Amino acid sequence: MPFHETEVLIIGAGVLGAATARELSRYKVDVTVVEKGVDVGWGITKANVGVVCQGRDTLEFRPEYHRTRLLWRALPLMEPLCRELEVPFKKVGAYMMVRDQVLKEKLDKLAKRTESLGLGSDKYYPFTELREREPYISPEIKGGLHDPEIAVVHPVYLTQALMENAVSNGVNLMLETEVTGIQAGHSEFTVQTDHGEIKARYVINAAGEWVDRIAAMVNADDFVLFPIKGYVGVLDRNCSQLAGSLLAVLPEEPGDMNIVVPTVEGNLLFGIQLQINRRHDRSTTEHMARLALANARKLIPEISEKDVINSFCGFLMFRNFEIGWHECEVAMSARVPRFVNMTIGYPGVSASPGAALEVVEIMQADGLKLEPDPKFNPHRKDIPDFSVLTEKERKALVRKDPRYGHVVCRCETVTEGEIVEAVRRGATTLDGVKFRVRPGTGRCQGGFCGPRVSRIIARELGIPETEVTKAGGGSPQVPLRTKQLLEEGGGDG
Amino acid sequence: MANKVDVAVIGAGPAGLAAAIAAREQGAEKVLIIERAEQLGGLLPQCIHNGFGLEYFERDMTGPEYEKAFVERAMGLGVETQLETMVIDLDGERGITAVSRKHGYMKFKPGAVVLAMGCRERSRGAVGIPGTRPAGVLTAGTCQRFVNIEGYMPGSRYVVLGSGDIGMIMARRLTLEGAKVEAVVEIMPWPGGLIRNEVQCLHDFGIPLLLEHTVSFVHGEKRVEGVSVCRVDAERRPIGGSERFIPCDCLLISAGLIPENELSRRAGVELDPVTGGPVVDESRQTSVPGVFAGGNVVQVHDLVDWVSREAELAGRSAAAFADKGRLKPAGGVKVVPGESIRYVVPHTISGREDVSLHMRVTRPGLKATVKVGGVASKRFRSVRPSEMIVIDLKGDALKEAGTGGELTVDCRMKEGD
Repeated sequence: MPFHETEVLIIGAGVLGAATARELSRYKVDVTVVEKGVDVGWGITKANVGVVCQGRDTLEFRPEYHRTRLLWRALPLMEPLCRELEVPFKKVGAYMMVRDQVLKEKLDKLAKRTESLGLGSDKYYPFTELREREPYISPEIKGGLHDPEIAVVHPVYLTQALMENAVSNGVNLMLETEVTGIQAGHSEFTVQTDHGEIKARYVINAAGEWVDRIAAMVNADDFVLFPIKGYVGVLDRNCSQLAGSLLAVLPEEPGDMNIVVPTVEGNLLFGIQLQINRRHDRSTTEHMARLALANARKLIPEISEKDVINSFCGFLMFRNFEIGWHECEVAMSARVPRFVNMTIGYPGVSASPGAALEVVEIMQADGLKLEPDPKFNPHRKDIPDFSVLTEKERKALVRKDPRYGHVVCRCETVTEGEIVEAVRRGATTLDGVKFRVRPGTGRCQGGFCGPRVSRIIARELGIPETEVTKAGGGSPQVPLRTKQLLEEGGGDG
Repeated sequence: MANKVDVAVIGAGPAGLAAAIAAREQGAEKVLIIERAEQLGGLLPQCIHNGFGLEYFERDMTGPEYEKAFVERAMGLGVETQLETMVIDLDGERGITAVSRKHGYMKFKPGAVVLAMGCRERSRGAVGIPGTRPAGVLTAGTCQRFVNIEGYMPGSRYVVLGSGDIGMIMARRLTLEGAKVEAVVEIMPWPGGLIRNEVQCLHDFGIPLLLEHTVSFVHGEKRVEGVSVCRVDAERRPIGGSERFIPCDCLLISAGLIPENELSRRAGVELDPVTGGPVVDESRQTSVPGVFAGGNVVQVHDLVDWVSREAELAGRSAAAFADKGRLKPAGGVKVVPGESIRYVVPHTISGREDVSLHMRVTRPGLKATVKVGGVASKRFRSVRPSEMIVIDLKGDALKEAGTGGELTVDCRMKEGD
């Protein structure tokens, strides 16, 4: 017996799944999203530097590529979307720089291409002028091409906002529900999950890191994926002045990424791209950390090991080698009708609004009736961010709800009011709260606020603190009460 | 604020309490301590071990006992406190912006400010430990709070990275709680904390201390499943092939403390890159007039007793500033650390008054002689970077010796630990 029936089933609540769910929520259609994780946006969406790329940063970005078309479609949508959903979006601009005068020719070519594609005209700044705009760049840099359109967005905030808005418009979200098998029937799919069967007429496979495995369950794996691993270091906010824009060095080898990116919050990230890697292995190594720091210092010599407050690894899922790194798969399977695969690789976050539109059209063309829902509300209110409010706004907020006067996380100035609201909006874990309102993302990394956030989560969810987890089942923060080990006869004896 | 605050003290740990008491005793009318936590005492309430007060009270006390002695004095003197209140801004004119559930949003300008924010622990991110990112990696101080205040255990089998005092004390505490501590791993050739803690917390409990080792990898997807530990070379880099796996469900980090100076930065206080704390004169006045600092916010002390002493000095000076509206900076003589000295606090002295110099050596040594210009010298059987050296100078001697505007402090020693 199916435990659930739906018209459209989306597998995966990453940025692509969430964007598609939100796009579909404009219509009178039954949509369900299943996500195996405990929260949304925690797969390949999460470990990302959050650059809203304009498709003009590399010569390999050809207009005939599908991903380019999706991206260009998404470009005008991203900022208004962020405004509707109250997701921080910051146009920081970017400098694509060279250390070698010979490579300047490549920059000229890039600028020409940008102009010929009608994307604007990027200006080249020689070192002395560049240094006036970005005073901390290395004297080794010869000059750089300025792209004023590059923006940053937090991919997890965007995913949460898309999903929150989709759910408020009637989409059904099932977390901690893992797909274990799929059968294609005549007119519908039977999808097995660890919670029972779901019947669905359309399946949208947006399973991110596992998109090929899900597709293979129903023989819709028309593509092969290779995970490329990247390493990202996070700098203390005290270093924000070191870069005002995205700074990158023009790669001399494909995949030779070396960038420094400001986040919407004002931290700087620095990153390098590594190589094809074992899937799901998000571990960092000493070698990566050293290489990334050394590279970042070639851009900005003042970046110091002392200012690194965190680091993580993420993946990009790239398609077949034979056609280069450049293609994506956003299409109905050639072999399985009504089964749509969605995987972009780079730049997934930036292209997501375009990909969502295209998937809706693919289903419409296939005969899915989509009648606009007059009750659709495109707006979503963000959780108030005490740290950026004006004095007047702060006073008003604290008067309305004194919990906003209780600062729990000192480094990021996060109040109890924000944490409670994050839990109310679906955060059930420490990371869930951290990835909504930031306690523990600052320089002390939760040393002070960790125990306090844990207590608030337990209180709000009405669970014992021993059941509060870092990121879902199997990851409790404090699994035992004191004296418990003594009563049980000690750890190992 | 109903009445003007004469001295505002930021932080109610041992430094804040001592500074507030001293300010009141010096005659400041209204002294207010602002504290972000729910109770007074800073980290003292969670330091339930002994070893406090040996210098200050000449008595062996626990953290809570030491705290109580100061809290009672402060309350007796009518020091005012605001708990669960966060100072979110301090400007260069001593203007304080604070916020709390109870009092809402506040802005005021006290007669003088004492910075007593203490320090924070270096986190996993700051230490840069490679591997996965599961639950079960936390700093020793956070673990101490969970165990001693909240009543929870973060795990049952531990490895401690870093032999700082809190790490060694927690190794013993967790063992007493029935947990197994597999090892304390220290990257340097000498322990990071006090000898007495090495003996009483590790040796007495049979906990191995692995010197010149580090944690090279954290394993586990959801919870820590173990760590790789390896030897390091002279550059503190892991030696390939020396790794071994130690199963555990928790990694504690006790790899150094960082003075908490974000507010000082906002106020434009000049900081010393070596100590991480404000540059201060002998009265503990910072580069911003009327802003004083004492305790671990200035330099990470080894004993709380020195924290209290230094903060008292800051508190007295703040009261004097609040009274007169000014206090001449005592900056006649610059104190310069020599090759074997990592830092000296205060950074400048008047050269006329009695003053205590606090310093740390860069490496351990035997039969050491610390020389302060031509003014004073003191001998030590052994010196270690983990232990603070204090040298008292007499104003008369300083005046007599004449310093030429600079006083170099250096240490001659034989290599050895």
